[in-house]
Amino acid sequence: MSTPAVEFSGVTKRFGEVVAVDSVDLEIADGEFFALLGPSGCGKTTSLRMIAGLDLPSEGSLKIHGEEVGPLPPNKRPVNTVFQNYALFPHLTIADNVGFGLKMQKVDKAEIGRRVAEAIELVQLGGMERRKPTQLSGGQQQRVALARALVNRPRVLLLDEPLAALDLKLRQGMQNELKALQREVGITFVFVTHDQEEALSMADRIGVMGDAKLLQVGRPEEIYEQPVSRFVADFIGRSNFLPGTVAGDDAITLANGAAITGPTTGRSAGTAVDVSLRPERVRLEARGAAPADRPSIDGVVRTATFLGNAMVYSLGLDWLELEARIENRPSQARFAPGDEISVWWRDDAIAVVDGGR
Amino acid sequence: MTDTVHPLTAHERAHESAESRRGFLLALPAYLYLLVFFALPLAIVFVYSFATRNRTGGTDLSGWNLDSYGRLGDEIVTRVVMRSFGLAMVTTIVCLLLAYPFAYFVSTRRPAVRGLLLVGVMIPFWTNFLVRNYAWRVLLSNDGPVSELTQLLGLGETRILFTQTAVVLGLVYSFLPFMILPLYASLERIDGRLVEASRDLYASSWASFRRVILPLSRPGAIAGSILVFVPSFGAYVTPAILGGDKKPLLGSYIVSQFLTARNWPFGASLSAVLIVVMLSATLVYFRAGGRNL
Repeated sequence: MSTPAVEFSGVTKRFGEVVAVDSVDLEIADGEFFALLGPSGCGKTTSLRMIAGLDLPSEGSLKIHGEEVGPLPPNKRPVNTVFQNYALFPHLTIADNVGFGLKMQKVDKAEIGRRVAEAIELVQLGGMERRKPTQLSGGQQQRVALARALVNRPRVLLLDEPLAALDLKLRQGMQNELKALQREVGITFVFVTHDQEEALSMADRIGVMGDAKLLQVGRPEEIYEQPVSRFVADFIGRSNFLPGTVAGDDAITLANGAAITGPTTGRSAGTAVDVSLRPERVRLEARGAAPADRPSIDGVVRTATFLGNAMVYSLGLDWLELEARIENRPSQARFAPGDEISVWWRDDAIAVVDGGR
Repeated sequence: MTDTVHPLTAHERAHESAESRRGFLLALPAYLYLLVFFALPLAIVFVYSFATRNRTGGTDLSGWNLDSYGRLGDEIVTRVVMRSFGLAMVTTIVCLLLAYPFAYFVSTRRPAVRGLLLVGVMIPFWTNFLVRNYAWRVLLSNDGPVSELTQLLGLGETRILFTQTAVVLGLVYSFLPFMILPLYASLERIDGRLVEASRDLYASSWASFRRVILPLSRPGAIAGSILVFVPSFGAYVTPAILGGDKKPLLGSYIVSQFLTARNWPFGASLSAVLIVVMLSATLVYFRAGGRNL
């Protein structure tokens, strides 16, 4: 593999007593669209700011294309940032905003003019060059921020929740555009977001952060299908957690006594685990109609919610509540509150995570 | 903005006029005060500027003429005006140079520290303006503490009292807070992320200051400069106490026309011109700054 675009080794950032980023190891490949995902305050923005040089690591090493950048100030790094809320210079025109970085690098005037025009064209803002940022809409300001960063041809583009300030419709459009843009320019994108759908739909790989730690790194499918912890499973999409204990290799006994099969990945017998079961993976049948060769659990429908393309049921099992999401197909049986049902799932529908909280 | 104008119903019209009447009533005391104690005296000054001084030093209000304005080109007047202008400019520039780093320092502190430092800026206002000027006279006198210090250091006696240096010192001291406060207000408003963005876009810390902070703090610098320049130009008390009377400034020159020369029309015409010039300078200054905000 070639040199990673960004490499964290044991990076820790403390603000006084508070640990914002806790010994993170991470490699982001060249040309990758990488999302740092997590709830607010998890350290994802601080991690991004350390790549930019706006915060410096307290410990550890941070390399960009193999070069140690730990103590370098932001203006000496081959990266540019698209800031949350854009941070456009209000006293400069759009063209001067976009040309700012080139001017600071003392690129000659004609070259600046050419590249600024090119960048403005790239984000489809032709004709807006002489306007001030306040005369543009939120979506247009977003494009200016993108052009202002990309015009410098950074080796890594950092994006700090760039879509958070846009309304839903615009956000979805920009998701596709950003993705297409990244393919077109071929630059490594590192993208910070708290929106799991955004991360899943745009990123090549996702790093999930929680409580200052990097919890899991993987392709969107991996993160979704094989979460390593209850936190990750809960943060990415929705999930039910069935408490149990490991009974042997790939054998789990649920808290109600049911024996099931699931990937225990080397955990020793007796370890407390949670079985993560996504609502859409729950199979629902009338009581007794579940396949006889599968373990099934009996329960009662508590509520049934019609969502158009699906039904969402809240199911009362003896020992816990379970959420099930069943696609609406013509042949699909519907249930009503009070109906007696049986629940089952395929072996590959579940993930096993460490038990408790 | 709405593109269509709907005719107001009678009810709405009544409501609106009631609203505006209430607003007017609330503003009435201030209007009356300004009318009696500001507009009226100002009008009297303008009227007197067209009158004639009679032989006994009184003022003849009949027979209006522009004689007083004709004297404005006199050499002594030009000299006094230029001297005052220069002094006010120096005062403004010195204030700007002193206030900017301080205001910047304050704006980058924690909020609690900021409050403390700003209160510090206001402390001089707790003492009477006149008293503070006399304090400077004591400090700067030939046998005062400043002089004693320079003698101790072997630099000889300090003789700056009753010079223009002393006047500038006094004016800077008096008006510095008027520069600091608007500068602080505009610096404090600057979004820190803009500075970060400029650093991210390859600006050194100096370039970041020059290209982002400086232009964005311009409204404060303009407001502060006006607040310092205008009172410095027409200053009377400070030059009278610290400046001696060998080289009169505009303020004391006008006063002497009223009290010593007893030429009220000439004093009034000088005042009228001063007001008009400062007002137009202020407007031009604001316009020029406003366009680039």
